[in-house]
Amino acid sequence: MGSSPSRLRGRTRRAVISVSHLTKRYGAHLAVDDVSFEVGKGEVVGFLGPNGAGKSTTLRILAGFLGPTSGRVEVAGHDVVDESFEARRCIGYMPEAVPLYPEMRVVEYLRFRAELKRVARPRRAAYVDEAMRKAGVVEVANKPIGHLSKGYRQRVGLADAVVAKPPIVILDEPTAGLDPNQIREARALVRDLGREHTVVLSTHILSEVEACATRVLLIHQGKLAAQGSVDELRKMRSSTVIEIVARDEAGGAEGALRAVDGVVRVARASGERPAATEAPETTTRLRVTFAKKLSADERARATERCVASVVAAGAGVREVRAAGGSLEDVFASLTREQPTAEADA
Amino acid sequence: MRAFWPIYKRELFAFFVTPLAWVLIVVFLVVQGMHFFLLVDHFARAEGAMGDETPLTAFFGNTVLLYLVLFVLVPPMTMRLFAEERRSGTIESLMTAPVSSIAVVLAKYAAVLTTYVAMWLPTVLYLVILGRTGSLDWRSAASAYLGVALVGAGYLSLGLCASALTRSQFLAMVWTALVLLALFILGVGEFVTREGTLMHAVCSHVSVWSHMNDFASGIVDSRRLVFYGTLVVLPLFVATRAVEAWRWG
Repeated sequence: MGSSPSRLRGRTRRAVISVSHLTKRYGAHLAVDDVSFEVGKGEVVGFLGPNGAGKSTTLRILAGFLGPTSGRVEVAGHDVVDESFEARRCIGYMPEAVPLYPEMRVVEYLRFRAELKRVARPRRAAYVDEAMRKAGVVEVANKPIGHLSKGYRQRVGLADAVVAKPPIVILDEPTAGLDPNQIREARALVRDLGREHTVVLSTHILSEVEACATRVLLIHQGKLAAQGSVDELRKMRSSTVIEIVARDEAGGAEGALRAVDGVVRVARASGERPAATEAPETTTRLRVTFAKKLSADERARATERCVASVVAAGAGVREVRAAGGSLEDVFASLTREQPTAEADA
Repeated sequence: MRAFWPIYKRELFAFFVTPLAWVLIVVFLVVQGMHFFLLVDHFARAEGAMGDETPLTAFFGNTVLLYLVLFVLVPPMTMRLFAEERRSGTIESLMTAPVSSIAVVLAKYAAVLTTYVAMWLPTVLYLVILGRTGSLDWRSAASAYLGVALVGAGYLSLGLCASALTRSQFLAMVWTALVLLALFILGVGEFVTREGTLMHAVCSHVSVWSHMNDFASGIVDSRRLVFYGTLVVLPLFVATRAVEAWRWG
């Protein structure tokens, strides 16, 4: 785990989006703080960060809805400020919460959007049909948008984003507010889009980027915390900490764990979430930290050894689980590595 | 400007698909119909003792009903133009399409102006009825309609501007009504200020009452044209700047 994503900056192929030193200020509030990155042709890039990190603001600037306070943003070779018009023609954008006109029928809305995006009249009907097929809204084509479920409205938004066949598609939180089935469908749709378009999407859900994206940009407090491939993100997630819940009447488990090869630290996480069905006083929750240099395979073996040693110490293992690996943990580990990331940038 | 046409069509559609539009039109036509009936009834009884007053001049000028109707009609017609799109967020999809701010503003304005003209169109029937039963000066009639169109165009432009300046439809409506009322009251000042004072000159320049009296008698004064031209262009300009300013907010 010697290479953090911040050090392995993804060298992109031909950049279709290039952002350098982008800053956006709302009065005194700094929403985006000196962010630079590139997106290559055909990539599916996920913007990952907690709510309020500056994801939406960055995407809105890319889409031409907001202007940058400073910095330069180029989309398909067009500056979003000086050549806003040309830049917007290359982008299909789905805003957060997918605002639509509720009084229009789906097909009417998409025809209107196609005309607005300058799809020539003879091709318009075919483009609208194709977008509806891709997004799976053919069966609701003649329903008023206001009568559609949240999942269908999200799909109409996707259809709108691709209706003019733009080279770049930008999706702000494409699965927000959907139920698990709809989320799965939406992710499949996004993956399909990736075959024909360069896709940039934002999310605050870690597993979502893993499911859809090929590359990840982590945004935290307006700054680009790190970037790297999805595999690198997975590596960061696979945590170096496990928690073992043991019925440990003799009290030997902790000492036994310390002696295990590869373990650097053992701490008692007592008082944390005692299971109601168990007698809390007889079980101990132990946090075991492995050495960072262990590979995933070696960590798995070390876990086995830990369990064996606890059992050998006369305690019963009730539960073993990987701790950490959540978005918060990834961010925590990144903010610790901040100096390296900055030195590298 | 190629975005003008699709947005214009959508705005008209959006207006006529809501019940609000039809309610406004019905209210407007009922009020105008009653107005016309009362006038004709009045003139029929008076039998030529009215001097140079005709039903036409009375219908378009010298009456408070015209402005009352505009106060009630214009603010609800214009309030949603931008405020609704900003509140619901659709402005984001709209402005990220390859459209220019000026095209968006003009398309929305043209749509609401078209609606306004369409509301007045049925009243031409009254003139046809008058023309059948007596003599009618069609040139004065044309001038009166020009006046109605100009006053409406100015008011609608103010309303659109108010809608672009706030997120709340309600605020947009209140602001529009207040500005129109202020303009009207300033115009009424023409009758209470002394002639020759600056105040009097200002008041009579903006007095929609005397404007409409002139137009209804067939007088097309170039000062009026300039005044309403300004009243259309200036708010539209401010609205366009406002739309551009959101980007930097």
